[in-house]
Amino acid sequence: MSARAGLLRGLSLCHVSSTSENVSQRRRLLHHFISKVSPSVITEENNRLGQDAFTLAVKDNIATAAAMDDSFSLQTTCASSFLMGYRSPFEATIVTQLRARGAVVVGKTNLDEFGMGSHSTYSTFGAVAQEQDNKGDDIGSGVVVLRHSAGGSSGGSAVAVAVGDADVALGTDTGGSVRLPAAYTGVVGFKPSYGMLSRHGVVPYANSLDTVGLLARSVYAVTRLVIVSGLWAEHDPKDPTSLSAAARKRCSAGREGYHYNQDDKTSSTEGMLKGIKFGLPLEYNIEELDPRIRDAWAAAASVLQSLGARIVPVSLPSTRHALSTYYVIAPAEASSNLAKYDGVRYGFRASEDSAAATAATTAAAERDGNIPLPGAEEENKSDSGGRSNHVLYSATRGQGFGREVKRRILLGSYTLSSEAMDNYFIQAQKVRRVVRRDFDRAFRLPNPLLGETEEEQQQQFDLSDLPESIPMEDKFGPTQVDFLLCPTAPTLAPLLDDVLDQEKDVTKAYMNDVFTVPASLAGLPAVSIPVEVEAAAAPGGGGFVGLQLIGQYWDDARLLKVAGAVSECLTMNTKKKS
Amino acid sequence: MTRISTAELSGYLLSGRLGRRGCLIARRIPFLIRPASKFQARPHFTKIQDDKSRTPPTPPRVPFRKQQKDQAKTAKVHSEKKKKNANKQTVPGWELTVGIEIHAQLNTARKLFSPAATSFNDMPNSHVALFDVAMPGSQPAFQPETLIPAVRAALALGCTVSRVSRFDRKHYFHWDQPAGYQITQYYEPFAKGGRLELRARDGIAAEEPPDGVTVSIKQVQMEQDTGKTSAQPDEVHWIDFNRAGAPLIEIITEPEIHHPATAAAFVRKVQMLLHAVNACVSGMETGGLRADVNVSVRRSGEETLGTRTEIKNLSSFKAVEDAIIAERDRQIALLEAGGVVEGETRGWSLGSTETRRLRGKEGEVDYRYMPDPDLGPVVVDDALVRHLAETMGTFPDVEIDQLVGNYGLSTKDALSLMLLDNGARVQYFYNVLDALEARLGGTEGSSKQYARLAANWCLHELGKLTELASDLQMTPEGDSGAVPSSELADILAHLHRREITAKIAKELLWRVFRAEITRTGVTQTIDSLGLWFHELTEEEYAALADEAFQPEQHVVKEFVRFREGKAKGYPNGKLMFLVGRMMMGGPTERMDPAVAERVMRTRMEEVYVPAAIAGASEGK
Repeated sequence: MSARAGLLRGLSLCHVSSTSENVSQRRRLLHHFISKVSPSVITEENNRLGQDAFTLAVKDNIATAAAMDDSFSLQTTCASSFLMGYRSPFEATIVTQLRARGAVVVGKTNLDEFGMGSHSTYSTFGAVAQEQDNKGDDIGSGVVVLRHSAGGSSGGSAVAVAVGDADVALGTDTGGSVRLPAAYTGVVGFKPSYGMLSRHGVVPYANSLDTVGLLARSVYAVTRLVIVSGLWAEHDPKDPTSLSAAARKRCSAGREGYHYNQDDKTSSTEGMLKGIKFGLPLEYNIEELDPRIRDAWAAAASVLQSLGARIVPVSLPSTRHALSTYYVIAPAEASSNLAKYDGVRYGFRASEDSAAATAATTAAAERDGNIPLPGAEEENKSDSGGRSNHVLYSATRGQGFGREVKRRILLGSYTLSSEAMDNYFIQAQKVRRVVRRDFDRAFRLPNPLLGETEEEQQQQFDLSDLPESIPMEDKFGPTQVDFLLCPTAPTLAPLLDDVLDQEKDVTKAYMNDVFTVPASLAGLPAVSIPVEVEAAAAPGGGGFVGLQLIGQYWDDARLLKVAGAVSECLTMNTKKKS
Repeated sequence: MTRISTAELSGYLLSGRLGRRGCLIARRIPFLIRPASKFQARPHFTKIQDDKSRTPPTPPRVPFRKQQKDQAKTAKVHSEKKKKNANKQTVPGWELTVGIEIHAQLNTARKLFSPAATSFNDMPNSHVALFDVAMPGSQPAFQPETLIPAVRAALALGCTVSRVSRFDRKHYFHWDQPAGYQITQYYEPFAKGGRLELRARDGIAAEEPPDGVTVSIKQVQMEQDTGKTSAQPDEVHWIDFNRAGAPLIEIITEPEIHHPATAAAFVRKVQMLLHAVNACVSGMETGGLRADVNVSVRRSGEETLGTRTEIKNLSSFKAVEDAIIAERDRQIALLEAGGVVEGETRGWSLGSTETRRLRGKEGEVDYRYMPDPDLGPVVVDDALVRHLAETMGTFPDVEIDQLVGNYGLSTKDALSLMLLDNGARVQYFYNVLDALEARLGGTEGSSKQYARLAANWCLHELGKLTELASDLQMTPEGDSGAVPSSELADILAHLHRREITAKIAKELLWRVFRAEITRTGVTQTIDSLGLWFHELTEEEYAALADEAFQPEQHVVKEFVRFREGKAKGYPNGKLMFLVGRMMMGGPTERMDPAVAERVMRTRMEEVYVPAAIAGASEGK
């Protein structure tokens, strides 16, 4: 597999000058694991499973149980002090499914607390880092190791795959949390159609957007698990949002690629791309887009064109509203989902002394007319009065959650409040429909979720919505495409120190999700594939650009197949140049 | 004796709940299963007395006159109280408006969103699924069977069942609410637009129109119940999550009730309806039904409604009526003093005379209703609704009409039968009646006679058995573990044929209740203990009457005065006094007081009075 070989070559840059001792020392500082399985257990499992075995890292917001060995059970912390030491009484369906396919769990990976963040820095276990050597200096006297953001929130999973600690990693993608770290760290990140992979056992951040995603060093590693091994077809009765067997059948009726055979793998990659229409969404060419990314995007388009694919500009007019829509809906759902963390049944509970102190400050703040502290929103139904008033939850929630989580809980509590509901949450839901409609109009394939008949599924653009630069295919409108090709993120992986400095301007970090959020809002499958940027072209930045392919709903099989081919062609192209 | 915990005691006193373990239950068991053989060894008469003196449930012997006096007294107090509330239905110059929300536990095997079993008084925290305690990563699994009782309830209330309904999250923090939100139906409830007719016999206020009132039901929604808290000393709270996530329906009326008694009647009738269609199994008395009322007042003739307050968690019909009266009077007093009613939530304690403020508008919770993103819409097929509508059975109103019309019961008795034991008592009555008819056939009396006899015993005599904290072990099918319907029918058949006296019949009933009579052994017991009623002959009665009259001859004057028109009322008291003496003088077990009275009356009219008149005229 040349794609994989290329990537490994890229990875080797990171550690080329390190002794093995240095590597392990440095890796420890990457903070990509929260808990690890002992090497002896991994070896034992590997031997037991034989040639099917592959190593799997699991994001720490996905429940793992003491399944392999009683002496060992992994905690499920969500990188929150709240759940530090929490051991789930059950295992997530996706982990069970993968273990049945030969997965050997190597550990639980670090993330932004409860999945909220774009750089995996909001973790109670420390910020995840990735290291890339800056070899801009051709004397080669010394290698300056730069610590970059691994992206978030599945940063730990991405680094685990990038450095080879795991063959495959599970992440969760709510607004780009798998694709963004994949782009930053130079691995493949796949977010399936909403409802394809079971979320049972995945600690929810925003249920209507959450998906389980996979990270690997090659597209085929993902395809092998999701498509070839039949994960896509498995309904989970424990997850109410997992598509029923009947719905899966109906959705895949008009789709290709689900019945994978060996011929597909051996047929020529270039032939696979012939005649495929790729749309370049004009609205994604934003001012803030790093020129190196714009170049990589354009280069990729011309390579594909040269291989017989059609490249057409498309318009997704709602794109500019998608980000704000996401940051209304996701925090709203988060504020609701995180209400369960009260310290009553499990997890962290503030000590009585600190609780009393919080109560005193809350009372003081209320006296002074200040904004109440986070967590002061609870109802106090107790008539007993005295110590229990306003104490237990305020202190527990105030101390148990990190800054970003509290920020989003407050934001969500506000947008759901009776005074703001209509202007924020309801509006956001409407925009969300418009976003999906835009995608449906751009894609050649109909959206099976819109109805049973083709007529119900047919969507057309209102021509007045379209920019003039979009050419018309016929009198009905512009060309409809198979896939959208766009960058995964507007910038390369920033330096970790810069990210940590950004704390003053938190909404800046939200900008990183601008290209990944639309597909999440529409529930569409998307995959980020790495394209190597020549070192000279990337001073001070990471060595990879992530290119994103977005497909129509339930077109995951074809998306992965085409993404594999694209990835291979682009890698060959890079090789040719160098 | 072991100390009873306050929680248990209050549970028992306030809602009639008994713990599975503990001395209250333990003491009941030996007395229920006491073998009959133990008693057959000794002569029966002493035995009964001996037994009575030892068993706690037997009421102490109270002289009959005192009993009558006491009864009259309580009746008086009762009617006075009733009168009090009856007088309180309106306040001149003001109009009261009430809306009601009723929460009722649905009769289902499983919880609303988890396969955990619903339970009542089981070992705490023994029926809890991961989702019920909001474990991270757990998800709701809607249990479609919960729709069946819910749809039945909605249909019984005349609602239209929506084809599509959805679930929303209602957020507030409380330790009995594990997820930090309750899943309910706020935006799209499953049933809307119902109505419930209330008639005079349902106990509505006398001021309502004679043909009754109709209360509109705005909507019925499904939602989750919360966990149960029991307070322990030192501000410790124990939480039982068995109830957390159990399905409830909330019934919301339009604000169109204007009298406190009508509001109580509404809640009572809803409870009866829900039991009748098998939507709910436990009522207000066991906490299976709770009501919140919204109360506002306005001056007569005003168009807009006044500011309303909400009184939460009313747990009896009486509390509904009393709380509304108290709150209405508070609001009127406030307004008349120039004050303003604030929209607030208030509470009510049993037996109090005032509502108390729980939280004001500023303390009001913003529930931040949000559609639950994990739960899809519920689609109810028309065919299901049709099927459930067709298999609903008889509605209580129709059944009461039948009990009154076909069986000749009083409306009050019919209503009581329907309400007792969550509707099982009326079923028991039918079983007793069937058995009684099978024993007596159509020749020995009319079925109305049988029905009245059976109803009387099913209500009043059975009621006496349970006055002292023990139950009849009534099954929903209408049979009693304590007094099997067939045994009661045996007793009543003998009583109807006058083969035993009422006194013996009651004694036999106690014996059955105490399990001293083995199954189908009523007749045998009468035989073996010689309890058959060998009644005196008419001549023997007459002789006894003469004997009783002899030393009390002077009372005849009163009867003479009546005969001569000098006294207005018949001297019944004197007659009964003579009957009493007659009963004392004769073998009671062979006498029927009714017959004794008839004989004494006849003797008085035909013998003693004429004799006295003759004697008097002779004396002149």
